[in-house]
Order: sequence, then C-alpha cells, then structure tokens
Amino acid sequence: MKSRKNIISIVCLIAAVILPWLFNSTYYLSLFGQTLINIIIVFGLNFITGLTRNMNLGTAGIMAVGAYTSALLSTRLGLSPWIGLVAAILVGFLIGRGLGYPSLRISGVYLSLTTIAFGEIVRLVLNNTTSVTGGAQGLTNVPVFSIFGIQIQRGIPFYYFLLLFMLLMFWLSTRIVRSKWGRAFKAISDNPDAAESLGIDIAKIKILAFTLAAIYAALGGALYGNLMGYLNPSTFNFDFSINFVIMLMIGGIGIVRGNIIGAIVVTMLPELLRFLGDYYQLVFYTIAFIGAIKLPQGWPAGIASLAKWIARKTGLKSRKEG
Amino acid sequence: MGDILNVSHLTKRFSGLVAVDDLSLTVKERQIHTLIGPNGAGKSTTINLITGVLKGDTGTITFAGKDISAMPTHKIAQLGLGRTFQNIKLFGAMSVIENLMVGAHKNTSQGIVNFLWNTKRAKDEEEKMRAHAEQILKQIDMYSHKDDMVNELPYGLRKMTELGRTLMIDPKMILLDEPAAGLNPSERQEFIQHLKDVYDSGIDLFLIEHNMDVVMSISHYITVINFGAKIAEGEPKEVVNNPEVIKAYLGSRFKAE
Amino acid sequence: MLNTILQLAVSGAALGFVYALVGIEYSLIWNATGLLNFSHDKIITLGAYVAAGLFFTKMGLPIPVSFILSIVVMILVGFLMATVVLNPLRKMTTIFTIMGTILFGKMIYELIRLLYGSAPFTVPGLMTGTVHIGSLVIAKSNVYIIVIAVIVVAALQIFMQTTKTGKAMRCVQQNKKASELMGINVKQNIRITAAISSVICLIIGFMVIPLYTVSLSMASMIGLKGFAAGVVGGFGFLPGCIVGGIVVGLIESASVLVIPSVYKDAVAFLVLIIFLLIKPTGILGKKS
Repeated sequence: MKSRKNIISIVCLIAAVILPWLFNSTYYLSLFGQTLINIIIVFGLNFITGLTRNMNLGTAGIMAVGAYTSALLSTRLGLSPWIGLVAAILVGFLIGRGLGYPSLRISGVYLSLTTIAFGEIVRLVLNNTTSVTGGAQGLTNVPVFSIFGIQIQRGIPFYYFLLLFMLLMFWLSTRIVRSKWGRAFKAISDNPDAAESLGIDIAKIKILAFTLAAIYAALGGALYGNLMGYLNPSTFNFDFSINFVIMLMIGGIGIVRGNIIGAIVVTMLPELLRFLGDYYQLVFYTIAFIGAIKLPQGWPAGIASLAKWIARKTGLKSRKEG
Repeated sequence: MGDILNVSHLTKRFSGLVAVDDLSLTVKERQIHTLIGPNGAGKSTTINLITGVLKGDTGTITFAGKDISAMPTHKIAQLGLGRTFQNIKLFGAMSVIENLMVGAHKNTSQGIVNFLWNTKRAKDEEEKMRAHAEQILKQIDMYSHKDDMVNELPYGLRKMTELGRTLMIDPKMILLDEPAAGLNPSERQEFIQHLKDVYDSGIDLFLIEHNMDVVMSISHYITVINFGAKIAEGEPKEVVNNPEVIKAYLGSRFKAE
Repeated sequence: MLNTILQLAVSGAALGFVYALVGIEYSLIWNATGLLNFSHDKIITLGAYVAAGLFFTKMGLPIPVSFILSIVVMILVGFLMATVVLNPLRKMTTIFTIMGTILFGKMIYELIRLLYGSAPFTVPGLMTGTVHIGSLVIAKSNVYIIVIAVIVVAALQIFMQTTKTGKAMRCVQQNKKASELMGINVKQNIRITAAISSVICLIIGFMVIPLYTVSLSMASMIGLKGFAAGVVGGFGFLPGCIVGGIVVGLIESASVLVIPSVYKDAVAFLVLIIFLLIKPTGILGKKS
C-alpha cells in the first residue's frame, strides 16, 4: 500500500516536470503557475480550516496584503523580490496574530466573520490609496526573482521555481501535520474538553494554526505578484477566498495530498468546462454545493468509497478483499 | 505527608440553586481519596470546579501548593492534575498511540520555528514522545492495540486509553470521574488493579465513584456529599457505618461487612 | 453644523434599522438551526429581483400586488432553503454548514445573473422625494425604512409571543433537544422560520432599492454589516440585533465627519473587530 502511494507520487512528480513542455504557452504556464501557488495557499488553509475546523474566509485578503507588500517594496523601493518574500512572511505572521487574537480566544463562528471583514477592509484600502497602490488601475511591472544574478524568467523557469517552492511547502506541511502540532490541531477540533484537560491551550493552538495559514497565504500572494507581473485589488475578492475553501473540501479536509488535488481541480476546471460558457459558475457552484453535502470526506475518498459500493453491489470483489 | 489538593469553603450557585455548598475537603498525598454521594449531590459540579471548567462563586482551591481557583483548565492540567471523563473523551479520529502522544504535548519544549529548522531535534523529540507512550501502553497492557483507531475499540479498552493518555502528562494526581461505570465485573477488577499500579508508581488518585464495591476495595479515605454539602468523611469503615450517610445515600440496602 | 449632524443621525438610524432587520433575519435561522446563513444577502437580492424585476418591471403589475405575490414566492424560497440547505446541514461540521450556505447563495446569485444580466436598474418613483422639517431635509426613503422596520419588528414580536408557532420557535431557540423531546417538529419549525426569514429578506431588499438600486451586489454590504450588528448587539439575540444595528448605523454615518467617506464601508467591520476584542458578548449579550 505504501509503495503504491510512493509510485503514484513519483508518477505525479514526473508529470509535473514534463507538463510545461507539453503545454508550452504563456497562457498555460501562467495557469500552471497559479495552480502551484493555489496549492501552497491551500496547504496553509488546511491547518486552520482543515485541521482545527475554524473557517477562514479572508484568504484572498491576506494574499492581497502579501502580494502588495512584496510588490510595493520591489517596484517603489527597488528592493529585491527576495526581501519582498521575507516581508510577506512577516506581514502574514502579523495578520495571523492580529486577527487570530480577537477571533479565536472565544469559540464560535467569529473567525469567519472577522476574516470576511478583513478582506473587505483590505480591498477598500487598496482601491483607495491610489498614489501608493495604483488603486483600481492596478500595480504593474512587478519584477521576477534572480538567483546569483541570473533572472528566473516567467515561463518555464519560473514554473520550475514555483514547483520547487511548492514541494518545499509540501514537505514542511507534511512534517507539521505529522508532528505534535498536527496532533494538537486535530485534538482541539475533535474533542476540545479532552485537549484542555491535557494542558493544551486551545486559543494558542488555534492562533498558531491561523498564523501558519496567514503566512502561507501572504507568501502565495507575493509569488502571485511575481508570476503575473501586475496586481489588481479586484482579483482578491470574496469569491477567491471561497474558492480556496472549495479546493480544501474537494481534496478532503485535513489531508495534505488532497489539498493538491483540490487546488488542481478548482484551478483547472474552468479550462475543462469552458464549453459551458456563461453557465460555468452556476455549474461549478452547484457541483461544489452537492460535494459539500454529499461528500464531506472529499472527492478522492468519496469516489473510492463509491467505487467500493458499486463493486459490492455488482458482486465484484475489489482486489484488496479478493 | 502534605496535602495535594485542598478545597476550602467552595460554593457554586446556578441561578439560585446551590450546587456546591460551602464544601471543604483535603486530599492528602499518598492517599486514594473517593468522593461519593447520591445522584445530583454535586459531584460533577465539584469536579468541574476543581478542573477549572467552572469557576466557583466563593472559596479557594489549591493544588500542589498553588491557588488554582481562578486558573483556566489547561493551566491546571499543566500543574499536573490529570483527569478522566465520565463518558470517555478520546480523539476519535486518531489511533491509540496518537491519543497518548497528544498527552505529551505540554511536556515538550521545541517551538515551531526551531522545529522547522532543527529536524534532528524534532525527530528526537518525536521519538522520545513515542517511546514514552509505548512504555505507558506496555504498563497498562495495551501495547498490542497501539495502532488501533480508538473508535473501533471496545469500551473497556477506550477507558484504558483515556487513563494512559492522562498518564502522559506526568500527573501528580489523577481525578477519575466514575472509572468503573460501564465496565463488566472482570474488566472492573482489571481496571482497579491498573489504578492501584498507577497509585503505587507515585501518583495520587481522587475518585468519584458510584459502585460501592469499587469504593470499598480501593479507597483509603472517603468524603460524602449530599445537596452540595459535606455530610461525612473518614476511613471507609467509619463512613459506611455513619448513620447520616446511611440515611442520605446508602439507605438500608447496604451494610458494612 | 447641527443640521448636518441631525441629517447624519436620521440616515444613520435608517441604515441602522436596515442592519437590524438583517440581524433579525439571520438570527431567526441561527436560533432555529445553529447555522449562520451566509446566503442571506443573496436571498435579500432575490427578493428585490422577484418583486421589482419580475412582477413590477417584467409583468407590469402595480407595486402592492407585486409585493404580495413576492411574499408567496419568498415563502416557497424559504421552504426550499430549509429542505435543500438548512435541514441537511444541521448535523454537519461548521465548515460544511458555512460553505453549504455560501454556495447556495452563489447558486442563487448565478441564477439571477443568468436571468437578468448584470446591469442594475431602478424602480422609478419608489419611495422617492424628501420631507422638510424646519430647515432639515430628510429623504422620504429613510422615513419609510424606519417605519417599515418598526412595523416588522412589532409584528414579529406579536407573532413570537402570541401564536403557537411563534412559541414553538422560542422553545427551539432555548433548547433544541428538549423541544424535540417535547414533540415540537424541529424540521417543520425550521421550514417556517426559513419562510419568515425569507419574507423579511424580501422586505429588506425592497426597502433598500432607493438606496442601492436593484443590482447583483445590492445586498452584499448590508449582509456583512448585519453580521457586525449581531456581534455588536449580542449574537443570536433579537433585541441585541436591533441595538447593534442602530449603533453600527449611527457610527458609520457619523464616521464621515472624521474620515474620508470612501472608507465608510470599512467602519462597520472595524467596529466588529473592536467589539470582539473588548466585549465579545456584545452590548446586550449575556455572559456565557
């Protein structure tokens, strides 16, 4: 079983390496880049919403702050995008603490409300501080990274850069999920009374999970600016925040590998369902709605159990049982 | 011998109703102390007050020399007060050993930033936690179940898992809320034996128990409450012969042998 | 200056009553199901589109007739919401309940967009004009809003206190398990609550047409500010929603005296976060 999982992982990795050569166009490379960034952000969301089960509906807003912080430092002050990346991590940390503290000390749905509120405030500020952010016109000429003086050009080089970044974040996330923190995240949502009786400070753990989510989102935002080269406040709207939660749900909340699947499905789906034209959104939200109610364990697990059910009904025994 | 737990003049009202009424009791070190009382006597409220789930209106509670009356639950646990629940509260989505390892969380010191950089130390700490959990599982005869999901375990083993988990916090005292409830006689005997082993390893016990066989077989000292107030306390033999207790709780059904 | 302040007070109070009604509309569902209905702004929008878009503009019916027919439609929408969303979600984890209602709202939004397009429109002559009191000039729409809101609150109060259904709703709010044991049909109760909530949404949608025109995003801000009202006043507590709504409306209205008006929309959200910091139970909230 474990070796099969490893084989699948290796096949997926090879596919990810070959992919840009098969679809070598600016459009597709940008789409793949966005997919990788979305994967990173869902890894983060998985901590707070997937494992501690507290709804974060402000991911796009946090992402925007990370994106603008990094982009403004490099466009307005001429600093290296690397410094922008570090700054994004820092603001992610501050948002996590600053927003987590009021919302997560008390139990309830407050985090979902404050994160929505935060997203709205961010959009309002970005739109109206025109002299700094360019307002609704957007911010252009966000530079790319360089390593030892060599620029990582947009296109295939930047794709590989993001792929490496995603793998790094995957490694970190997996480690955290399997550590004492991952267990604490699960414990406080599974049985808060028991967790407390073991000396775990629930508020502190929730704030940590949210801070991780905010750092991942801000980091993803900074990378997004570098990938696209321009930023516009209208990108970072509420629907974008919802999409991240849909990615999480599709992959199966709490499952790091599932995060990847969810992010790929949601980012690529508009491509696959392009023939639906104007009806795309309605179909997409309807599918997501039915998924949320009927397949709360996520699509991969849901499909697997469905397949098992069909196999049982039709009298075929699955390979494992037979 | 000093006192491990000291409850003094504790009172708790719920909108006019007095649930705990000027209750004082002392749990001495190296003593298995049991709190008994008829249904609705205020036992559960007392537990919730001691563990910080509820806050008392008046009175003080000290544990291991520290005033815990106003402390939040997790701080009290960090001082070394472990507990089990009447209706077993486990982390259902985890295996037995993972449940235990959550119990070790508070005793680890590595911060998350250090964890991400210092993979060596992270690995050591994780292995230490796992080894500790395995050792405790062996101690309570549950090692063979270590990778079972707790939701799939029979009741008795889930109860053992909960005991094992609270042992992971390195408690000075464990507060057990009806440990014998739901166990069949042989499981009960086994559980009592494990409790005695735990006690012999140096951890004090404070029980709330209904089953008089259990109470008589394990307790060194008994406090009886009714209507939130203490009506008697003393050694088991004295208490069961106390007419006040017989009237309030034991009725004529029970006679000391 | 005094005139400015008075005018701000009136428009602030009118906004406040809108937020209060929004607070009531979702708190009813919260109390009946324990679910926060994130689709409520879309239900408000739907109400406005059904009344002003379908019956009034497309079918050319008079406003009162349009309104009454819309009530019927919205009751059915409430039943649908109860059956498709609220009842199935009731036993699920919070994140699914939140996403379920959000996605239901997105579906409604997309349906409206496909049917009516994204261009906003108005209802000519609906609650327009001004009232003069001395040197004070007040928009009639503000007066209408306050009057309608007070009537709705009063009617709801009478309904909750006197009718059997209303009493059952209060029971369920107090203790869901006990009500179920006492023989109250919780599912039926949710259907009725959702219908009442949807009708209140219709009223909100209708009365804000003069303020925001009929558009796809007409209710997104008042929807969110209604949440702020709930937190400020005391979550899930109807009198709290009214107090919270009016407080938020007045603060927001007064804010233009000190900060640029483009940031007006951010004020309610800042108030929400500040209240969570200093008084998470809200002004009228009971200690938990």
